[in-house]
Amino acid sequence: MSNKPDLLHGVPEIPAGSVPHANGCDQSCFLGERPDPLSYKEAIQTVKNWFRANSLWVIAYGTGCGSIELRPLGTARFDMERFGIAMRPTPRQSNVLIISGYLSIKSLKRVIRVYEQMPSPKWVVGLGSCTINGGMYWDSYATMKVLDLYLPVDVYIAGCMPRPEALIGGFKELMRMIKNGETKGYIDYIERLDWYRENQKQIIKDWDLPDYSW
Amino acid sequence: MQTTLQALKNQFTVQWEKQQRADLHQVGLPREQTLAALTWLKEHTPFVQLTHMSVVDWIEEDQFQITYLLMNPRSYDLLMVCTRIARSGATMESVHKLWPQAVTYEQEMNEMFGVEFPGSPRQGESFILEGWEDIPPMRRDFDTVQFVLDHIPDRPGRLSINTREFIGRKVGEKRLLHD
Ligand code: SF4
Repeated sequence: MSNKPDLLHGVPEIPAGSVPHANGCDQSCFLGERPDPLSYKEAIQTVKNWFRANSLWVIAYGTGCGSIELRPLGTARFDMERFGIAMRPTPRQSNVLIISGYLSIKSLKRVIRVYEQMPSPKWVVGLGSCTINGGMYWDSYATMKVLDLYLPVDVYIAGCMPRPEALIGGFKELMRMIKNGETKGYIDYIERLDWYRENQKQIIKDWDLPDYSW
Repeated sequence: MQTTLQALKNQFTVQWEKQQRADLHQVGLPREQTLAALTWLKEHTPFVQLTHMSVVDWIEEDQFQITYLLMNPRSYDLLMVCTRIARSGATMESVHKLWPQAVTYEQEMNEMFGVEFPGSPRQGESFILEGWEDIPPMRRDFDTVQFVLDHIPDRPGRLSINTREFIGRKVGEKRLLHD
């Protein structure tokens, strides 16, 4: 695909030789040897991932019954802010998209726009059995049944509906994956954009979205 | 309520009548008298508020039933006015001149059942569905399961459990479920 958007700037490549202060004066001068560029890069990535894992900003958007469970999660009883998880009002400020239950085809269109407008790196959490295999809405003419055909899902949380504890469990798993650098969904979305688009257009009959919602 | 019902019967052909609850009466009217009766109810009786409008698909009789739910805002009594129309090429007079909120109901009924309300604004505009190409989905001859199997991709391996049997086995046939 020729007009593939370059959204991979979330994972910068640090060219070898451009290690900061490699020939200037910093602590490495005192150590007497230059740090290995590879380990340097890995160290930066680890630190970045640690920061990312501890500041999951969720776009305040809910579909289906599961979004009811986000309220106790955000308020006093379960208080997700102690994990650094916060609700954000716009896609530009968020990096986590929770699909909280059955997703109607009409909403899917909006969700695609929202997801594409979020800055990378970004993650998708599928909440409830409706996102996994249609759940009890499997025979509805209005909802999609397999979320990962349309968006790259990083974590699924099973249940109908999952309790806030299960959500916290899912978030902890997402954090672990981010820290280990295992979440590549947003890269996959760009690399296989054609495949995702094909699936999206298969059920969104009146497709009128732009090539990519920047 | 009784006064209104009696007056309604004196002026219009009430085909049938049923009391659902103490505060809810149903009347059936012929299609050509319905608009006149609704206008009369709004102008001359306390039943001035249109609370709800809906369609019932009587596919066996090849008819749609249009239901208007009127309320008396002083006593909270409800009067349900029902009328039958032919199912093929279904058209009904619009009541949006009497109650402006009927526009939304009529738009939805048009989309979900394919009943036409000529003269009503926003007819044919999409209300809930977007890009719908099939027959209106709330008609009873629309096969939802077949549509889903044909159009919406599935994840293989989904199991269906007969809840009655499954729970029956779990609780040792203690007959906890109603038959
Ligand atoms: S999984 Fe259950 S609770 Fe969640 S949206 Fe579906 S039906 Fe509702």
